Amino acid sequence: MFKHILVPTDGSPLSRRAVERAVRFAAEQKARVTGFWVGPAWEPNLYAYAEGVPAGFVSPRQHTAHVKNAAARCLAPVRKAATAAGVRCKCAYVTGGFPYVEIVSAARRYRCDLIVMASHSRGPLSRLLLGSQTSKVLAYATIPVMVCR
Amino acid sequence: MFKNILVPTDGSPLSGHAIKLAVRLAKEQDARVTGFWVGPEWEANVHGETVVTGFVSPQQHAARVKKIAARYLGAVEKAAATEGVRCKVAHAVGGFPYDEIVKAARRNGCDLIVMASHGRRGISKLLLGSETSKVLAHSSVPVLVCR
Repeated sequence: MFKHILVPTDGSPLSRRAVERAVRFAAEQKARVTGFWVGPAWEPNLYAYAEGVPAGFVSPRQHTAHVKNAAARCLAPVRKAATAAGVRCKCAYVTGGFPYVEIVSAARRYRCDLIVMASHSRGPLSRLLLGSQTSKVLAYATIPVMVCR
Repeated sequence: MFKNILVPTDGSPLSGHAIKLAVRLAKEQDARVTGFWVGPEWEANVHGETVVTGFVSPQQHAARVKKIAARYLGAVEKAAATEGVRCKVAHAVGGFPYDEIVKAARRNGCDLIVMASHGRRGISKLLLGSETSKVLAHSSVPVLVCR
């Protein structure tokens, strides 16, 4: 029923659970998955919001390297889980200030027919709140979105 | 992977979309479907789109709720029957549909909720329905949101 599942991740533990679920689901559906990570765009002074990308001043080149590292680290679980489950998998990352925009356009670009993502990532008090990016993806996506708790 | 899919509906066309998706998914997964509808609670004066405004007795209200439930949930049963998917339906009354939905998922042992991004009150395409976003916030099982 679903052929291509987009799995946006931010590398958090909750996101990892969503990844596992997505891969299991994909294996059942004989679908392929595309792991996706959005890093922060370069700015002269970066405020930390992505895992593994340090705050403070970094040169554009350093920033690119950091982003690449962080992407590799965040997307590795997707690739690993997919390989273990025998699911075809591709990974991609971009940088941008608005992750939900990147996620929605990636879903369109890769012609995904389902997005599987976690309900929220970081906030400790956010059990009762939907993550900001997730709720925006839900608002802007044109394909079904599975939200994992 | 999923055994029992809860499909909350409010009878709107977008909800019908979610029902179709849920039933197709259930068929593939060899799962069953639980249709669910939440009606308005009885009030001395009911304001609402599903129930006639004005005074109704609790008995009249119950009868109307039952009738509307049968109509809305009949759509789920019909969709399930055409695909040969096992189906159960239930309805509840309450002022907070999301709460009833989350409880129904727990009570029926559902492991997935499939619902539309908004239903009757969806004004804007860019906003997530109020009940859907509350279900997303409170549910302990995954929620598949259809657009």
